[in-house]
Amino acid sequence: MAENYEKAIKTKYIGKPLTLHDEKPAWVVDSPRAMSHIHTYGLLTPFFQGLTQGKLMATKCVNPKCPHPSVWLPPRADCPDCYERMKWVKVPSQGTIYTFTLVDYAGIGVEMKTPYWQIDVAIKGVDTIFKGYLEYGKPEIGMKVKAKFRTENPTHTILDVCWVPA
Amino acid sequence: MITFGKGNLRIPKWSKRVFMVAGGCTPFRKYYPEYKLEELVMMAYKMMLEDNNLKLSPLEIKDSIQFAVYGEFADHFQDQLLCESKIHDYLGLDPLYNVGIKTGGATGGSAVLMGAQAIASGYANCCLVAGWERMDEVDTRTGNFYISTAACKDFETRMGRIYSSYYAPMANRFAWAYDLNDQVRAKIAIKNRHYATMNPNAQQPGDHTEEEVLSSRMSAYPLRFLECCAMTAGSASVLLCDEEMAYKLSDHPVEVFIAGGSHTLRVADRRPMDIPLLPNEKPGMYDAFLKKNPRWPGFESFLAARFAAYLTYRMAGIKEPVEELDLVELHDAFTISDVQTYGDIGLRPYGQEIDYIESGDAYYGGKCPANLSGGLLGTMHAVGATGIWQAAECLWQLQGRYDYFHGDPKWWKRAGKKKPKNWTSLQVKDPKQALWVSHAGVGSHVTVGILRKAW
Ligand SMILES: [Zn+2]
Repeated sequence: MAENYEKAIKTKYIGKPLTLHDEKPAWVVDSPRAMSHIHTYGLLTPFFQGLTQGKLMATKCVNPKCPHPSVWLPPRADCPDCYERMKWVKVPSQGTIYTFTLVDYAGIGVEMKTPYWQIDVAIKGVDTIFKGYLEYGKPEIGMKVKAKFRTENPTHTILDVCWVPA
Repeated sequence: MITFGKGNLRIPKWSKRVFMVAGGCTPFRKYYPEYKLEELVMMAYKMMLEDNNLKLSPLEIKDSIQFAVYGEFADHFQDQLLCESKIHDYLGLDPLYNVGIKTGGATGGSAVLMGAQAIASGYANCCLVAGWERMDEVDTRTGNFYISTAACKDFETRMGRIYSSYYAPMANRFAWAYDLNDQVRAKIAIKNRHYATMNPNAQQPGDHTEEEVLSSRMSAYPLRFLECCAMTAGSASVLLCDEEMAYKLSDHPVEVFIAGGSHTLRVADRRPMDIPLLPNEKPGMYDAFLKKNPRWPGFESFLAARFAAYLTYRMAGIKEPVEELDLVELHDAFTISDVQTYGDIGLRPYGQEIDYIESGDAYYGGKCPANLSGGLLGTMHAVGATGIWQAAECLWQLQGRYDYFHGDPKWWKRAGKKKPKNWTSLQVKDPKQALWVSHAGVGSHVTVGILRKAW
């Protein structure tokens, strides 16, 4: 058998012709893109797993020499202040609303029906503020909320946690 | 970092002085089917070469360039990797070296910073800085989603898929902390969109009433459509030189100072810290403020902008920003980001940002007018071009050429528009120094640049 590179080959077009989207003043063609990526949660996998098990897992720097030991939620694996690997800790599933917005007009692919309340939640013992959405109710700054987890049929995304009035 | 080491606070110092001599831009539009991207960049580049009273011919200047820095925000929009190479070839500049710069909304400012570094280091004595974005080849909601991938894709993007939903929580917190009302935000939208009516290149000029702004469609509460910049197609460029080349090319060069700051992409991760003080601020002046608002910079302010101003003011020897700056161009992508920045760059102390608008200082004829170009709200946000175009607008003001670039009927004709009968000049009287802010993310990258009249 001859290798392909040894053959004379007749080439056939197997693509899909582009439709003309606009013809004046210049030709504008449709240029479709449909593709899928994979994405790793890497060392943050315990956080996303934790949501499906009904827990908020944060990372904590336990290095006694760290200049600013903090508890991080969203978690990160390595401490930016001392560069040591941090430790997983479970943090309270309650917090207070630090600020909020109503998402009325969202970008394409939005997974919640608009309008909905997006909220930023301050949690005791956590040094950062955690963004999420309110499943029901109307938010105000200082309002108490508790986390609700999607332990059944998880989305495997950050949307596996949301908040409800406490 | 939330505390600084000594080395972190070193003030940048150019090895050689850096100058800007020329700027150019395209008209800015929502949809630009007439031209390919490289054709738009050529239009801005040629305007820069031909219309800035330069003392060498366009082709002699081409012969003088050694390096080019290109700003483009998102490959998603261009759908062309290594776009820089296509543009550079189209401008006939091979084999001179070029680099592409990407820092979100601050791409333009960062491109100018990189070009300035090329001049300051001696790598080049004549450097092109050009930027572009063509956001018109996807529909608006797809564009909103693309831009929202400049929020953290694991923890934030899914929460709104539109950037207004990351600024709006800041607006609500700012309103709660500092008594900002809707009317003040509306004033900014009205002001900048009005100034855009004098700019032939503006995409969304308009004379709006407060009621129109506050009843326009809601994007993310409290931010309404008229408080948000649009998506734009277009390009801008400026030319940077060392001292000798600057005076060889121009009788009206300006000197350039620029530095940047950064902060976490996620506002959520911004831990409280001490406020780095500007030259006009006294130790202890924020003690009472911090008691009330212990989470600085929190959701109210931008450390990146504060840090950039901290460096640039010292680099340029600015002591009292409002007194010494004759105009500013701020990154008003949203009304709220404009307000937040007033404190960061010291137009007012933190907590008193609103007074910059209410006092009239921010208006034409005021002490330090802002966004006479029409800003991002009124004129453009072709992201990779924005910080470059803002610099060009500042340059033209300092050169006393506002009227030529905004009032000459040929630019209105180029934009396919008729010069309005009520066109009035927004030329600031005999300005010496101008500042522009180029800003990314929810304050992830910010450059503060200062241009100083040098003739
Ligand atoms: Zn640490």
